[in-house]
Amino acid sequence: MLKIITIGCNELALLGRDKAGLLVLFLMPAILVVIITLVQTNVMERTGLAKTRVLFLDLDGQAVGSALYKFLNTENLRLVGGKKKEKTACDLEKAVRNGKYQVGIVVPKGSTERLRRNIEHLFAEHDRKNEKKPLKEVRLHVFFDPGIMPGLRAGITARLQMTVQTISLAEKFSVLERMLKKASAELNLPTEGSPFSTVGLRELLVRPVFSLNDNAATVSSDSGGYDPVQQNVIAWALFGIFFTAIPIAGTMIKERVSSISDRLATLPVTPLQLFAGKIAAYVGVCLCQFLLIALLGVYLFPYLGLPSFTISKHPAGIFLIMLLSGFSACCYGLFLGTACKSFEQASTIGATTVVAAAAIGGVMVPVYAMPDIMQRASIISPMNWGLSAGQDLLMRGSSFSAITPDLCRLALFCLLMLVFSRLQQNR
Amino acid sequence: MNDLQIAIEARGLIKQYKNAEGPALDSFTLKVAQGEFFGLLGPNGAGKTTALSILCGLFSPDAGNVFILGMDPKQQAAKIKQILSMVPQEIALYSSLTLRENLNFFGKMYGLQAGRLRERVSRCLEIAGLTDFSDRFVSSCSGGMRRRLNLVAALLNEPKVLFLDEPTAGIDAQSRRLIHEQLRQINQQGTTILYTTHYLEEAGELCRRIGIIDNGRLVREGRPDDLLSISNCGTLDELLFHFTGTQLRDA
Repeated sequence: MLKIITIGCNELALLGRDKAGLLVLFLMPAILVVIITLVQTNVMERTGLAKTRVLFLDLDGQAVGSALYKFLNTENLRLVGGKKKEKTACDLEKAVRNGKYQVGIVVPKGSTERLRRNIEHLFAEHDRKNEKKPLKEVRLHVFFDPGIMPGLRAGITARLQMTVQTISLAEKFSVLERMLKKASAELNLPTEGSPFSTVGLRELLVRPVFSLNDNAATVSSDSGGYDPVQQNVIAWALFGIFFTAIPIAGTMIKERVSSISDRLATLPVTPLQLFAGKIAAYVGVCLCQFLLIALLGVYLFPYLGLPSFTISKHPAGIFLIMLLSGFSACCYGLFLGTACKSFEQASTIGATTVVAAAAIGGVMVPVYAMPDIMQRASIISPMNWGLSAGQDLLMRGSSFSAITPDLCRLALFCLLMLVFSRLQQNR
Repeated sequence: MNDLQIAIEARGLIKQYKNAEGPALDSFTLKVAQGEFFGLLGPNGAGKTTALSILCGLFSPDAGNVFILGMDPKQQAAKIKQILSMVPQEIALYSSLTLRENLNFFGKMYGLQAGRLRERVSRCLEIAGLTDFSDRFVSSCSGGMRRRLNLVAALLNEPKVLFLDEPTAGIDAQSRRLIHEQLRQINQQGTTILYTTHYLEEAGELCRRIGIIDNGRLVREGRPDDLLSISNCGTLDELLFHFTGTQLRDA
């Protein structure tokens, strides 16, 4: 045990004096997690996964404007009132075209009055002779950021159309209700038993009778849902952790090239003790990497306008995921170190495989956003196992048992890499 | 030389590397007595390093047996590792650690504990004439300093059997002289030394017996003076040419 500790301390001393290695292990994932989270938050806004900011300029100031505001200001859209900087439709258009907002809506002055006049016109008996005369429609002005995703644009347009239909339908029912009441009074019909005796016809007809069961509702209540901070802190911590494979491989190759490994082979220390010492040191480094990135998520992200990272519900589970991922990365590093002939070879193969595993595993782009074939391929990436387990705990609100298969895969990967490393070493 | 006196014994070692034309070792047989200073000489590719690597347990032969102080490495590897040391041809040291840190690390790997470790590290630094430079990084040391440290790192456990693979390659005369002195002293204290070198004069000066290896076989062994007189050669260079020819081996 003392020898393992000595080997571990020696590895840390060597790493501590390798400035480039430290930068790769700590600075690179720290920078990436900040940049990618900020970028991804913006992408989420643009794809509608986060609340889309809509600049709303109500020049009407009456029923149509307030009804539009009420119907549109839902959990997916965040309406921001204009009139501060953007006082006219031109200002609003400019703000949207500049990308400050994804959508801009202008309710022109007199919209409510025009809507009511149009509906009165539709129902008025004395205008029947002018039936074919076109109505001057209420025209809302909608502006989209040119960079908005087509799917999000279509969704917002559909919601807007539904909203204006609802508003005009409600207005039509109001007029109809008034007309029916007037007709009933003129004919002295009893009002009792009629559908609008207690509740207004307008209210009755616009009352919802359908509901959509959103799949997201099946997620347990203690999960936070998709969140770029939760996703990226775990993802980029794993990316950094797997990069430790390169310095481990590097030290092993240096030891081999300089015959230190020959000297060590003649000392009373076993190859497994040597492996264990290196693994112990670098797993510690991996946990420090995660701690650093988690602290950035907790303390720095709120300053950048991002939500704070939290693992308060599953600290033990997340620790276990990071620990096993660290072991996997270290064992992969041992394998690279024994299989590669030069440091250049190890760093090229190591960096390529780690980046490829990160891309396949959903670190850079969420797995669900990948083509079908890549989604199926993601299962071969150890980073996907760690990430998937992390998402299960932090975003899907799953229990510990749900992540057990992923943890077993990581453990099996460690074991295989260790066996391959020993076989390579014996060659 | 009876069996009890033999420190290093190789019996019919055969080693064939993959994709190599001939065997690196071909029925290589050698006996080195306890306390002896033995030089293994030969041209490049003759099999010196392979023989040394097998003798100190770095890898196994395809056939044949090795015994160190009568112990079989296959069965008593741990015991042998406590009494054996090897000085590789390359500078087998961590360049980003200081001289003392290197010796501390290798000393701990030998299982030396606190007081004993401090004592041995100080003694080895003294032997190498590096006491004043103990906190210097290996990367900032001269070639001679590195060579000397490379040697003393193998003396931390006070080995009974010491293997040296060209320990004086590429260093100045002063460092070489110091290394020679230290090796003589170590040998006088009872350590058996098996030594390979391309400096034939050095071998003649240091070794009690030498062996000439060629094509993986030990072609001749004996005291340097005896070999010179038997073969009618004036120098060890001539002796080597006499037994191995003048043809380039690595061309």
